[in-house]
Amino acid sequence: MITGNGAAAWGARLARAEIIPNFPITPQTAIIEEIASWIASGEMDADFLPMESEHSVISALAAASSAGTRVFSATSSQGLLLMTEMMFVTSGLRLPVILVNVSRGLSAPITLWSDHNDVLVQRDSGWLQMFCSNNQEVLDSVVMGYKIAENSEVLLPMMINLDGFTLSATREPVEIPSHDEIDDFLPAYNPKHTILDPKEPMSMGGAVFDEYMYFRSQQRMAMQNSKSVITDVCAEWEKMTGRGWGRGLVEPYCLDDADRALLICGSESAILKYTVDKLRKDGEKVGMLRLRTMRPFPCEEIVDALSDVEEIGVIDQDISPGSGGIIATEVKACLGRGVTSFIAGLGGRRIGVEKYEKIFGRLGRDVEEWIF
Amino acid sequence: MKTPDLKKLTDIPMEDYLVGGHVACQGCSASLGLRLALKVLGKDTVVINGSGCMTLLPVYPTTPLRVPWLHLAIENSGAAGTALYYALRRKNINANILCYAGDGATYDIGLQSLSGAAEKNIDMIYICYNNQSFGNTGHQRASSTPRASYTSTTPVGKVEAAKDMPAIMAAHKIPYIATACPSYPIDFVNKVTKAAEVKGMAYIDLLVPCPVGWGFDPAEGINIGRLAVRTGMWKLYEITDGRFSMSYIPKKRRKVSEYLRAQGRFSHLSDADIGAIQVEVDREWDALEARGYEYELGI
Repeated sequence: MITGNGAAAWGARLARAEIIPNFPITPQTAIIEEIASWIASGEMDADFLPMESEHSVISALAAASSAGTRVFSATSSQGLLLMTEMMFVTSGLRLPVILVNVSRGLSAPITLWSDHNDVLVQRDSGWLQMFCSNNQEVLDSVVMGYKIAENSEVLLPMMINLDGFTLSATREPVEIPSHDEIDDFLPAYNPKHTILDPKEPMSMGGAVFDEYMYFRSQQRMAMQNSKSVITDVCAEWEKMTGRGWGRGLVEPYCLDDADRALLICGSESAILKYTVDKLRKDGEKVGMLRLRTMRPFPCEEIVDALSDVEEIGVIDQDISPGSGGIIATEVKACLGRGVTSFIAGLGGRRIGVEKYEKIFGRLGRDVEEWIF
Repeated sequence: MKTPDLKKLTDIPMEDYLVGGHVACQGCSASLGLRLALKVLGKDTVVINGSGCMTLLPVYPTTPLRVPWLHLAIENSGAAGTALYYALRRKNINANILCYAGDGATYDIGLQSLSGAAEKNIDMIYICYNNQSFGNTGHQRASSTPRASYTSTTPVGKVEAAKDMPAIMAAHKIPYIATACPSYPIDFVNKVTKAAEVKGMAYIDLLVPCPVGWGFDPAEGINIGRLAVRTGMWKLYEITDGRFSMSYIPKKRRKVSEYLRAQGRFSHLSDADIGAIQVEVDREWDALEARGYEYELGI
């Protein structure tokens, strides 16, 4: 039984992350505390670098990754926002950094509880974005994350999100693979595209003129390549552990004969699954689609999963004031039809089974509704 | 610490790791400083660059650098250098780590990151190439800008004095701090050698006269640097393990007007203004003389 934060730390340990720059922020701090204790006791061979800000953390991640070491860190909320400038630098330099975000609503007003606006602020930063639904998925995703991000067809950083407190501080049974298993699955990182060795001098982070757009198009291509890599890595992981996490990009639940469905991401999906089961016992044909990756955005997979569903709703634990639910906006664009957009759970506000039941009863309208 | 023993220009190694043909301005002392530093540091050096003028040395698909070079952003050279120190150790790469960042990137936006690296006493050489303004964006005010200097954001002259960055570094108790100027190349390269040999962090504040921002003929860059030192407006000194010592004491200091009147950024000053600056400089040097030019900082 370990917490989501413990699972994230275990992921880094099993992946043999070598450089761990860090800065404390609630509700992430237990991750770096756990790693600090393992390094101190000799259970984990890594350098623990306490930095002076999250901006310095991501800068250290980028520099150490540029030199070809495997790196890991974790942050939350305001910390993730302070990293923003360097998020783009890290993806632009094509550095396969793994960063866990323990989601937490943004200030002001200040809150400690979870929603997804912190992650979605980084939506356009060129990072792969993965949402986890439980603690096992956190551990699995961190280890798989390195294999995906370091794939030569991808070479992009990845952010792995777990919901603050609901997962980060809650203990769940988690199967921890052995080091031997993971060493076979995940080879050592030896990049060819970034080298900081005087034997092979390379200038990194220089200026470009007209070529800028060419480099951006390569990032886009890498993001597209990542889809099949994620699917393949999940399949390999499933063979090894029995856990494939859907097809990698989305997890469909009771959608085969569903006439109504809700799209959601993160740990709330567990309560929604329970609600689906409950309503199905009453004969209602409801289902759920869990979004695992926000980037790459799994448009084809969403269309495949929801094309026969009559009424679709999207739960957004985020808001772009002046536009609407961020995920709903993207889902509408990809489906080419209206969906009911529900803004819920901001700042960790409880949703619960009763409200999900109510939400299922309010589908079929192309409107935005706030569930308080 | 081995005493560096370069005595004349021809003692400086011929090898270049910053080669010609790059796009720095004519008369740029910052690129000269980097060239000199790399000559003595040699090929086993990795450079971290904070955004600024020197960031435009490598322009895709070319680079004038024959040593590894990493530019990330303006404010994080200290953090990047810290991580690089540990990463190179893990890769069994034995190399000097040189952070080469401007004064805006050092005194202002990057101070937090630099302080973090200094507090950890990371074994690296941090050279602040100091043109006393945000030079690459066109000469705007920085906390390194001297009092009275025109910048594009202090159109009537800066009111405040420059921040004493070496003193801030001294407060971090790092083992070696120096000021320098490429107009005194032997002094500078010997200081770079000391900085490389010292175990822990070394900080060198390198005055680099900027023809574009300061307003002088590109051919005059070296002379302007010499005048800064000979008038006593830029002091060459070292702080080794907390002990301050002057590296060069002008026998007879030139009048500050010689330095100030040679630059467009001070052209708005009246004779009275210049007289006031002279009084200030004289007072500083009187205090230095009273202390014997060498003393324990006691911090």
